[in-house]
Formats: sequence, structure tokens, C-alpha cells
Amino acid sequence: MIRLLLLLLVSALAAGAAGVCAHPMLDWSPEEIRAVGRHGPWPPPPVQDPSNKVSGVPAGIALGEHLFNEPRLSGDGRMSCATCHQAGREWSDGLAKARGAVELDRRTPSLWNIGYFHWFGWDGAGDSLWAQTIRPLLDPREMNGGPNRAAELLRGDPALACGYEKAFGGKPVGDDERLLVDAAKALAAFQATLVSPRTAFDDFRDALLAGDRESASRYPLAAQRGLKLFIGEANCNLCHLGPRFTSGEFGDIGIPFFIRPGEVDPGRLGGLQRLAASPFNLLGRYNDDAAGNNTRRTRHVQRLHSNFGEFRVPGLRQVGRGGPYMHNGSLHSLEDVVRHYSEVSPDRLHSDGTPLVRPLGLTAQQSADLVAFLRSLDAEPPSRPAPAPLCP
Amino acid sequence: MRIAAALLGASLATPAWADCALGLGRGTGWVIFSDQHLMAFRTDPLRIEVGEPFALVVNVCTRRGGAAELVAVDASMPEHRHGMNYRATIVSKGDGRFRADGLLFHMPGRWEVTFDVRSGDESERLTHDIILK
Repeated sequence: MIRLLLLLLVSALAAGAAGVCAHPMLDWSPEEIRAVGRHGPWPPPPVQDPSNKVSGVPAGIALGEHLFNEPRLSGDGRMSCATCHQAGREWSDGLAKARGAVELDRRTPSLWNIGYFHWFGWDGAGDSLWAQTIRPLLDPREMNGGPNRAAELLRGDPALACGYEKAFGGKPVGDDERLLVDAAKALAAFQATLVSPRTAFDDFRDALLAGDRESASRYPLAAQRGLKLFIGEANCNLCHLGPRFTSGEFGDIGIPFFIRPGEVDPGRLGGLQRLAASPFNLLGRYNDDAAGNNTRRTRHVQRLHSNFGEFRVPGLRQVGRGGPYMHNGSLHSLEDVVRHYSEVSPDRLHSDGTPLVRPLGLTAQQSADLVAFLRSLDAEPPSRPAPAPLCP
Repeated sequence: MRIAAALLGASLATPAWADCALGLGRGTGWVIFSDQHLMAFRTDPLRIEVGEPFALVVNVCTRRGGAAELVAVDASMPEHRHGMNYRATIVSKGDGRFRADGLLFHMPGRWEVTFDVRSGDESERLTHDIILK
């Protein structure tokens, strides 16, 4: 008896020392295991954007990180990309509405895993990360930098000029628009390195696929129940799919259209109009992919009336550490988000067929489980060292 | 335009169909037919991923082995009554061979692909279901 007690005590101490806390395992069917498996593996391979000649190039990434923190890119010299996309706030700002030169109508999206998208911005007006990056640089409501600011900076600042030469293989002597695009490409190369860390969910997913019940049982029971709901009854994974938990496409989930009395945000419908009008889209002269293989989406996308009020499906990694939520920051917490899907009005969604979004009618327990699962997609990112000098 | 329900066919071969390259549908593709037309197609790449563009490589002819034209390709999710966010374009490769490029399924589930084909004065729509997981 004493031996048995000692054995139990040693086992408990060993488990505690390793930080192991086992939970009961739910039963997972082969179909469910396949569905869970489709949300990984994580992390994915590094981004390589063929439209951007400095994508994945260390010198381009280094220049981009310096430019990301550079307030001289803004009209008043006081705002950088990092003003709204803060590393300590999951590359967003924690505000319901973004604040540039004025308060905007949409929330600052997080930059985690941004390089893996194909459409950029809440309305998908950008078809490359570098093209999307140009918009806030120029927009009078945001950084208001003007079309010449990036070129003046790259030519006039010795460190940035040196960084440019390392990244692009020549001095910054092109015309202003070319240098603006190059600055945006370096900024995009940096942003594409922002890959969220592995999470408790990833450990569970890998263990479940490997048949490692011991490791899988470390995943909290509430998160397991929430995951079953996510891939099952609630059908969240119809849109929040794949390793990043997003289709990268667009949907209308019943958030009100109105931004002010009498004024609406058309979402994707307006984004497609801006995409077609942009000189920086992938069909233009700044696409570095001579073969044009990356233009298929841009060439074939169609603008439909149903795009009105659609916004890009956000990825869910690190979602519990961010917020407020939705494109307009109208929901404060994850609990509010789950309540929205539980109680959304079908009348607002105007669906002729089986609606993609319908009131789930979740119990309090189910809501808490879904939140527990979503929080298992969070992890503490490693601290970031200050960027090294461009040309020491 | 006559609407014809699509039938999933096996790899059939008769002398009248000898000029129609149905081999495209064997193994990795599909053969569908109606009273008027035969069609074989496969996807490129062979495995369709949610959210990734793909093309359809299509061979079409009449049941008598005559020339036929692929006029349009589209896809929708009947249960949800929505289509693709993308419009496919068709390039003729000659001899009843076509390539429809720019399709993209943005959700898992049942997608109904429609093929509008024409031969002489006859036009009809063939359909085929693809289940995407």
C-alpha cells in the first residue's frame, strides 16, 4: 500500500514537473479526425510571392521592417505602419475603428499570417500584399504620405538608400512611382514573415492524427467539445477552413451595413471596383511575375450584386488575443462573437437556399465550449529583437 | 436551349464515337453524355483545393462523332443558391478540345458544374456534381 502511494506521488510530481495536465478524451470519428487534420499542419512553408521580387529576400525583409517603423512615410511625420499594426497588440491596435489622420469606418486588421492571403483588406481591394500596402501610405485619411514621400525618403536617407541597394541590387534612382512600389514590396516582404506561433490546438491536431492519445489528452475537454461544434453542428469550418481558419474569400454574416445614417459600407462590391481601377493590381506593370501565373484570380474574379456587404473571412489564429471583432469592430469580445452567431437574424441575411449563416441557438455550455476552442488557437509569440541596422 | 440532365457515364466506346477523345475521362476524369453530346473532362490540377484556382480540360463531340463547341462553363452550390465568385474563360484547342480556366470553389460541399455545349443548331446544358471536402 505504501509502495502504491509512493508510486502515485512520484507520478503526480513527474506530471506536474513536466507541466502535463491530462484531460479525458472525447471520441473522435475518422471523419472528424480528417476534418481536424485539414486545419494543419502549422506552421506552413514561408511565403514566396512571385509578384514581389524581394519576397523572402533577407535584405528586402530587413528594409521592410525599417520602413514599417518609419514615421517619415506619413504626411505629418508622426505615423508609421506600426502605429496601427502594433506587435504587442497582435499587429492591430485594439481599437474598434482604425485611427489614421481621422477615425475610419473599419477596424485595423491583424497582420498575423497576412502573407498567405490572396485578397487584402476587408473588401479585397488589393490583389497583392504590396499593392494593399500602398493604399494606407497614400490615403489622406490614413498616413497621407503623398505619391513622392517614399521616393524622397529612399533617395535622401543614407541608411534606407543603402538598404534599398542591398535589397533591389541598385541605387534608388527610379521614378517616384517605381520607388513607392519598391518600398511597398519591401514592406510586404517584412509583413509576410509575421507567422503566428504554434498553439495548443496544433499539438492536439498532430497528436490526434498520429493516434497519440496521451499527448492529445492534454487538450482541455471544453476545447475538444468546442472543436467538435466548430467542425460539426455549427459548420464554422465552411468559411473558417484550412490551417489559417479562413477561406480567404468573402461573406455576409449579418453585421449591419450602415456606417452612418443614410450611408452604407458596400464591402466587397466596392473593393472589386477599386481593384479594377488600381494601377497597382497584378494586371499592371509592377507585377514581377513575368509568366503572369499569379493573375488568375484577378483576371477571373467577377463583381456580383451579392458582393454587397461582404467582407473578407478573417483567419482565427491568435483571435482571442485580438479584438474588438468584425470588420467594423462592433463586437467587443469572443463571447459577443459567439452570441452573434447564436442569435443572428435570418431575415437580415436574405438567403434563398440553405443559409450559410443561421442562428445556431447555442446553449450557455456550447457557447463557452466554442470560446474555449477559439482561445486554444492563441499562443504567446516569441519576443522580437529590435531590427538590426541596415548597413552597419 | 434544351436542358439535359447529366448522366455519369462509364468509359464507353462505339464506332460512332471513335473520334471523340473520351480517354480524357478515364481514371482521373469523368465522361458525361446526353442524347446529343458526349463530353469527357478532367481538372487541372487533378486535385481541387478549396480556395485555389483550377482549370477544366474538356473534350466534347456529338454522339455521331461530329464537331461540338463548349460555349460556357459555370458552377454553383444548389443547396446554398450561390455561384462562384469567378467567371471561367474558355479557349478552344481545336478538334473539340477546350480548356476552361479561372474556376475557384471557395467552400467545401456539393458544387454543380454546368457545361453549355453547341453543335449546329443544337444547344444544351450538361451538368456534373463535384463534392469538395
